[in-house]
Amino acid sequence: MAERCAVVGIGQTKYERCLPYSMDGLVRQAALRALEDADLSFADMDAIVIGKAPDALEGVIMPELSLADALGAVGKPIHRVHTAGSVGGSTAISASTLIESGMYNTVLTVAYEKQSDGNFMWALSGGRSGGAGAGGSFAPWIRNYMRRSGAPDHIGCKVAAKDRRNGAKNPYAHLGQADLTVEAVQESPMIWDPIHFLEVCPSSDGAAAMVMTNAAGAKRAPRPPAWVISHAKRSELGVFPGRDPVRPLAAIDCAKALYKKAGITDPRRQIDCAELYVPFSWFEPMWLEGHLICPEGEGWKMVDSGATEIGGDFPVNMSGGVLCSNPIGASGMLRLLEPANQVRGTAGDYQVEGARVALGQAYGGPSNYFAMWIVSSEPNPTFS
Amino acid sequence: MSEFPISFTLEYPYTRTLGPVIGPFLTALRDGRILGIRCGGRVICPPIEFDPDTCETLSPDFVEVGPGGTVENWTWISDPSSKHPFQSPFAFVQVKLDGADTTMTHAVKASGPDAMSTGMRVMAQFHETLEERTGAITDVYFVPEADARNQSLRPGAGEVEISTHLISLTYNDTLYPHAARFAEGLLDGKFIGQRLKGGEVSIPGKGYDAIARVMLSEADDVELAPTGTVLSYTVITPVKYRGQKETEPYLSASLILDGAGQTLVQQDIRNIPLDEFRVGMRLRAIFKPVDERSVDDVDNDWMYPSIGNVVERWESTGEPDVPLDELPESM
Amino acid sequence: MEDVAIVAFAQTPCYRRYQDSEPSLIMGLVNQIVAEVEIDRYEIDLTIAGSCDYLSGRAFAFIANVDGYGAWPPVYESHLEMDGAWALFEAFVRLQMGDIDSALIVASGKSSPGTPREIFPLQTNAYVSAPLGLDPVSVAGLQARALLDAGKATERDFAEVVSRSRRDGLSNPNAQVAKDVSVEDLLKQPYYASPLRKHDLPPISDGATAMLIARGKRARELCEKPVWIRGIDHRIESHHLGLRDLADSPSSRIAAGSLGLDAASLDVAELCVRFSPEEIVLRQALDLADGTKVNPSGGPLCGHPVMATGLTRIVEVARRIRNGEAGRGLGHAASGPALQQNLLCILEGDA
Repeated sequence: MAERCAVVGIGQTKYERCLPYSMDGLVRQAALRALEDADLSFADMDAIVIGKAPDALEGVIMPELSLADALGAVGKPIHRVHTAGSVGGSTAISASTLIESGMYNTVLTVAYEKQSDGNFMWALSGGRSGGAGAGGSFAPWIRNYMRRSGAPDHIGCKVAAKDRRNGAKNPYAHLGQADLTVEAVQESPMIWDPIHFLEVCPSSDGAAAMVMTNAAGAKRAPRPPAWVISHAKRSELGVFPGRDPVRPLAAIDCAKALYKKAGITDPRRQIDCAELYVPFSWFEPMWLEGHLICPEGEGWKMVDSGATEIGGDFPVNMSGGVLCSNPIGASGMLRLLEPANQVRGTAGDYQVEGARVALGQAYGGPSNYFAMWIVSSEPNPTFS
Repeated sequence: MSEFPISFTLEYPYTRTLGPVIGPFLTALRDGRILGIRCGGRVICPPIEFDPDTCETLSPDFVEVGPGGTVENWTWISDPSSKHPFQSPFAFVQVKLDGADTTMTHAVKASGPDAMSTGMRVMAQFHETLEERTGAITDVYFVPEADARNQSLRPGAGEVEISTHLISLTYNDTLYPHAARFAEGLLDGKFIGQRLKGGEVSIPGKGYDAIARVMLSEADDVELAPTGTVLSYTVITPVKYRGQKETEPYLSASLILDGAGQTLVQQDIRNIPLDEFRVGMRLRAIFKPVDERSVDDVDNDWMYPSIGNVVERWESTGEPDVPLDELPESM
Repeated sequence: MEDVAIVAFAQTPCYRRYQDSEPSLIMGLVNQIVAEVEIDRYEIDLTIAGSCDYLSGRAFAFIANVDGYGAWPPVYESHLEMDGAWALFEAFVRLQMGDIDSALIVASGKSSPGTPREIFPLQTNAYVSAPLGLDPVSVAGLQARALLDAGKATERDFAEVVSRSRRDGLSNPNAQVAKDVSVEDLLKQPYYASPLRKHDLPPISDGATAMLIARGKRARELCEKPVWIRGIDHRIESHHLGLRDLADSPSSRIAAGSLGLDAASLDVAELCVRFSPEEIVLRQALDLADGTKVNPSGGPLCGHPVMATGLTRIVEVARRIRNGEAGRGLGHAASGPALQQNLLCILEGDA
């Protein structure tokens, strides 16, 4: 019964502060580009899966209803996933499941956010004064990570400089700066101590889409497919006594399940590159540790050694990541889309040479939702 | 036990960029005209960006339709909601404007349900001034043909690129029983948490133990001392948004009260200078005088719980700091 | 296709105002289910929830609901901002992969803090409908008139749906509104969104529903009378009312066709009739036979816990198959104005 799933089409909009399209136009642009990449049309889609963060960001409830026409869904199944910041990742995994179930042959998945319609800080604070925002909430955890790991202060700035330099290579990225130095990040204003302004993700509009299909569909695809090797999701309670949000158990469990299904025993060596959800720079070392890519306390050393640069032994966020583009609902999908881009060899200026196996990860909520997948240029990669 | 009503209004003026089809449509409405879009042999109004049958993107080939039209369907709204275009009874209709092949759903102002019928003729009426016509679907409404006035409207300047929609929703609830006891405790100058089945104390309580998955009751409430330890902190640079009143950076700390298993997050520290503030520091809450305490912003939400406006300040207890390696890893 | 069955279910009563949290509503249901099948909550492989942030007016409200169904240690979990019936769809699809055996589906909603008629216009097109406050009640009024004008129903038909549903609700312990009221008395009531009267509308409810499903062998281990899911499909229509025939439900018909639904074989159908005319539209679109009992629970007209209303329909069918009242039945869920989106789930007991 179980079928294999392959990504055969990828589409993105440019990510910007405010895009001059309707929501319909926005999602169509990403969808049409993914369809074109797959050399398919809306008529070829058996089902549509969409994802986005809270409805209050645009003030549109259950947007699958008003976007059904724009996405060619009339007469078809369409469903909408919502798992906070991880939603784009969960959405891609849900779409993959439709294929893997054998019930659907070809599926379109789209995730988006139009942050400029509303205001994220307002929505997160419930419209009340004094909202600390995501940064204000995560900053104390980052301080806690620094204390526990002994990481020097410059590590976050180093991640930020790398991601913004990578973003300059990505034509879709909202932000990118080819010559950004660690010093310049350190000199930017301290906005949520210990987080500097340049260590923070932007607020972006944008959409991302993928066309997924089964083995028969992959055979017909005009461009190389990215095979979904494994995917995993884990959630834990958001707040409870004894919870460790710096190294959440759900992050560890999710990675273990993911690697086990893929047959990966040594992720740092067997995975060629990764896109991790890093809305604030310090989450790069935190997730390198939390997802068992390196031992606890060593994540910052990987960063410091340059291992996570393009050209390093474990490149992270080659596209520039969330630090360069944050269309919230789509940000998680981009983390899963970009690894597909890498193993298809279509990542352009930020291509990791010879990328064969790539990891995508998204997290959400108070670091309590995780969605991850591994894709490969080969349907059955073996690991030694 | 007192009842604590809570009420909040979720209000934001959403600003919607419109694109190549809705933009010209709303621009035309502002100028007193209604546009449909050509799609194959038909004219669709309100216009959409793609062919509903093939899903192909439509070129922006607009046709002026109306201002007259025929009512194809209607419902008389006897008791309008505050979000409706009229606050006295009116009809929602599906009107096929002259020159269009599809209906637009909109509002008709008429004397009563007896004035309404399927097949009746209606006429568009635009709000008179450019202050009222902002480039939104509410710039226009309809009336029975016989009631229509001739209008001479001044067109606006430039293209409408953004349509603003003020969404304002009010929610009314009361504090759940455990939250009401927490609020009552705060008014009495006490921190009331709830002991979970594993022994840890959650503050505020949630009314249940999510780990053991059982409901908790008043018998599980425990009072905690107003003293605790700084686990972490940040300095918040306030970001401007609707409703935000903070303008200057301020210290926001995660504190763990003595005996609690979980931090109080986002506690404002306004009296201790940043360079004297540190992780491991021992603090005590100094409550406001009884008549100045308020729990207006305590609510049922536990993600970022509020302890109301009852603490005057957190001050150092004078005890030595807790060594960093003795702090709990949990937050 | 892998055999998948409903092995346990639980629902709260429909409350006009439930004075505690949504997680607390859910917690009792999940505990009831795991006690019934005598397993630990953490033996369930997957959990999928359905809820809506806007009901309580808090972005990310669904995160709290995880407390209700438990996630410590961490669980394999997802959430749809849709009625729980779509969570069931996603779980059913996931079980088809064959590597996991069981899934918990949770649906919950508390409408009482807000004003649904003011909130739900935000479901409609943000540019040309939502600013008009075009609410589900008004669109239902348009759908009702479309039926009258098409000669497919009379106002008496609407009243008959209400009279029968509210009477059937008297035997449903979870019903919020139930009474014995005659068609004549109903027809004397004033209009609200003509041709609809207030009694053609559902009540405003708080409530939750949960369900445990499992694959073939595991289903038989967990219960004596599994209720098999013989098919589940959902379809959507255009969002633009001007491009729809409101007197018909083509999306329901497509779903029925893809499932190979034999309407004549159904002993029972629980339809997501939030407004009485919807029953008439659905009966005609699905070609239901006279012998099929429709909404014996009273349906959403007796209790409408938004986000759980659709999943509750499937539970009500499963309940009747399990207790032997029916052998085969159809559960229906709907989303959007005037039945824009429809889900069908065919259930059957062991032969």
